[in-house]
Amino acid sequence: MNRNIKYKMSQMRFIGCFFVYLFISILQSCKHDNLTMPVPNENIRPAADFIHNNYEMRLFDAALQKTGMAVELNGAGPFTVLVPNDLAFNEIGIFRPTDFDKMNKDSLRRMIAYHILPRRLYLRDIPSNAVDFRYATFEGSELYASIGSIMPGATSPSNMLFFSGAKAIRKDVVLSNGVLHVLDKLMKPQFEKNIQEWLSDKKEYTVFVAGLKKFGLWDQLAAKGPFTVFAPTNEALEKKGITMSFLDSAVPQRYITEVLFGAYIMYDKHFFISDSQVFSIINSNGSYKYHLKDNIHYMEYFANEAYPTWKMSYYMKLRSNDTFYSIILADISYSVGAKMDYLCSNGVVHDLDQGLVSPDQVIKKEENEK
Amino acid sequence: MKTQRILHGVSVLGLFLILFAACTKIDYTQIAEPAYLRVFNNINYVQTMGSKDDKVPYFCMLINPKTGADGKFTGAEIIGDFLDKRDPYAPPYPSHIGNSTSLSNPEYPGKENVLVGPVLNGFDLSSWAQIPSGEVRLVFAYRPKNTVPFFELEERLRNDILIDTVINLQSKEVYTLHLLQKDFVKKDHGILLRQENFHKLPLSDSLVYVNFYNMSAKGFWEADASLKDDDYKLASFKYGIKDEMNVYMSLYESQEELSHYAATVKGYRGKFMSTIRRNTSSDAVSPYASFPLWASNHANGIRTSIWERFDFFAPGMNPVTNPFYDSDRNTGSNWAVLNCLLNGKVGLTSNENGTLLPNLLVNVHSGKDNPRTFATVNTIEVVNGRVYLTTIQRKYAPPIY
Repeated sequence: MNRNIKYKMSQMRFIGCFFVYLFISILQSCKHDNLTMPVPNENIRPAADFIHNNYEMRLFDAALQKTGMAVELNGAGPFTVLVPNDLAFNEIGIFRPTDFDKMNKDSLRRMIAYHILPRRLYLRDIPSNAVDFRYATFEGSELYASIGSIMPGATSPSNMLFFSGAKAIRKDVVLSNGVLHVLDKLMKPQFEKNIQEWLSDKKEYTVFVAGLKKFGLWDQLAAKGPFTVFAPTNEALEKKGITMSFLDSAVPQRYITEVLFGAYIMYDKHFFISDSQVFSIINSNGSYKYHLKDNIHYMEYFANEAYPTWKMSYYMKLRSNDTFYSIILADISYSVGAKMDYLCSNGVVHDLDQGLVSPDQVIKKEENEK
Repeated sequence: MKTQRILHGVSVLGLFLILFAACTKIDYTQIAEPAYLRVFNNINYVQTMGSKDDKVPYFCMLINPKTGADGKFTGAEIIGDFLDKRDPYAPPYPSHIGNSTSLSNPEYPGKENVLVGPVLNGFDLSSWAQIPSGEVRLVFAYRPKNTVPFFELEERLRNDILIDTVINLQSKEVYTLHLLQKDFVKKDHGILLRQENFHKLPLSDSLVYVNFYNMSAKGFWEADASLKDDDYKLASFKYGIKDEMNVYMSLYESQEELSHYAATVKGYRGKFMSTIRRNTSSDAVSPYASFPLWASNHANGIRTSIWERFDFFAPGMNPVTNPFYDSDRNTGSNWAVLNCLLNGKVGLTSNENGTLLPNLLVNVHSGKDNPRTFATVNTIEVVNGRVYLTTIQRKYAPPIY
C-alpha cells in the first residue's frame, strides 16, 4: 500500500517536473530577435525622371524634352517605354541633343510616341515564343513584339525579345508609373507610307526604283502585300553593271525579270531581320528557303547574331536551282543594323550594299541561243 | 429537466439547419434527342519562318449560332472554342482534361465540360459530345491564338469565317466531323461528316480492329517538297502517299526489341490488310480489318507485347517486291511506313523510315495484373504528310483482385 503511494508520488513528481521543463522550454522558444523587414523602395522614379537621370539615355531624354513628352511621361501612366540608348541614336547620325533641332517636331513626336505603350508590359506578359504579337502604341499604330524563349520557366531562362526588329538589351526596369526596356536600335515605323512611296523618297535607291519600273515590278509595291524588300543601293547595282544608262538601253524581254530585280523582293512575307534569330530559338531553324517567281532559281535566306561581331546580320544565297550541285549566283551578308527594318504600311524594307546578280547572268535561254 | 429540454430543442434545431443547408437544387442539363459528335481539326500548321505570315488554322466552332440585328454572331447554342490542330493520337478517354495547362483543345469535346455520350453497346463514348439532333447550323470561325474567349474578342476579330454550313444529325447516332483541306493547290477547305458504325457491328472481344482512311488534300503528294511541312518525325509520310495505296501489316513479337529486323509473329509479316483511296468527300465508313489479340505464341492470355508496323504501298508493290532501301524517306509517295508501339514517342533504333504512333493495344494495370492487355477498335487516318490514330475503348471485364 505504502509502496504504491510512494510510487504514485514519484510519478506525480516526475510529471510535475516534466511540465515545468516543458513550460520553460516553451517560454524559451518564444524569445526572438527583432526582425528587420526590408523597406520597400519609395524612391522609384517616374519614367521621364528616370530617363533624365540616366547617362545612357541622354539623347532619348533630349527628344522627350524637345517634343514636350517628358511631362506626359511623368504622369499617372501606366507606360511601357522602349528606350533606344545613345549608341542607337549615334548609329543613325544623331550625336548631340541639338541634332534634333534639324528635325520636324511633329514627326519626331510621332516617332517617339511609337516607342511608348499605354500599358505596363513586363517580359512575363508577352507569351513565350510569340512572333509578331501586336501591341498598340501611344502613337496609335501597332508594334510587333517577338520573343524566343530558351528554357522558359527554368532557373536561368534566356529570352530574346525584339520590338519591331529592335532587340531589348535590358528588360523590365521598374518605374513608379510603368516599366522600361532598353533597345539597341530605333524602331523605324514609316506609318502610312507604303514601300513604293518610301523607296521613291530615297536618292540612294534611284537605280533600283528605275529598274523596278522598267521591268514591270514597280506597281505591285503599292498593293497590300505584305512584301519584304532588300533594297540595293545605286553603288551596289553599279558593281553588278546595272546603271541608269544600262536601264535606258535594256530590253526587258531579254532578261529573267523575276531574278534580275525580283530576287530583291520576298512576296507575302513580313520579315524583320530578327525573326530568323527568334525562329532559330523556337524550332532550331531560322532559315527560309524559297523559289523565286520563275520557279527555278532558289534563294536561301537566314539571319543571326554570329561570331565574331555578334551583330545581327542577314545572309542571302542565290542558287541557279534547288539541287545540291547548282551554281551559286550570289552569296552575300549584311550587318548594318541601323539600316534594317524600315517598317512600311505594306511590308518591311532593308538596305543592301551588294547586288545579287548582273544582267548577263540572267539572260533568257532562248535569247542566249540567238 | 428544463435545461435538458432546452438542449434537446437546440440540438434538433441544429440538425434541421444542417439538413436544410445541405439541400441545393441542381438543374441537370439534358438534351432530349442527342446525336453524338466528335470534331477534329485536320488542318495543320507549323511555326516556321516560311509560315510566319500565314493564317493560323485555330478556330471557334459555333453550333446553331445566334445573330444580332447587324447579322453578326452574338452567341451560339454550343461553342467549341480554342479548337487547335488535332493531336497525332486521340486516346480512348478525354485524358487531356486532367493533364493539360493549355486552353487549346485538340478535339471537340476534348477539354470542354459538356454532356458526353454514354456507354453504347459496349463502347465508351466519353469522347463524344451530345448535340441536339436534326438539322444544325455549323460555323467554324478563325480566331487569334490567345486565351480570350471568342465572344469577348474585339468585334473585328470575329468576322473571319472558314465554313458556314448546315449538317443533318440523326438521334442516337455517332458522328466524327473532320475539318479538312480539300485542295492543296487552290487551298480549299471543307468538312467531312462521317457516321460511324462500330457500335452496330458484331465485333469480337478477342480481336483488334483497325480501319484506314486517306483524307489528304487533292494534289498534295504531287506538290513540290518545299511546300510540305519540314518535320523529320514525319519520315516517309512527309511527301504524302498516292491516291490509291495497299496497306500491309507486320506484328512484331516484343516492344523491347526496337528494330524492324526483330522477330515477327508467325503468319503476320507483311499481311495484306486493306486498300485505301484518297477521299475528302464521301462519308462511307471503311471496313474494319482485324487481327487476334493473342496472335503471339508468347502471349499468356493476360498480356502480350506485340506491336504493329504498317506498310503503305502503291499498287504493284508489296513488302516482298519493295524496291527501296529500308531507310529511304523520299520514295516518290510509293511507300510509307508507320510504327505503332509503346506510347508513340520511342523510335526504332534500326535504320528505317517509319513515323511513330502509340500501340493499338491498351496495356494497363488491372487488378492483380500489371499490365494487362486489352483489345481496341482503331481508326488510322492519313492527312497530307501526317498520320493520326484514334483508339476507341471497349467495355472491358472488371478487374480481378
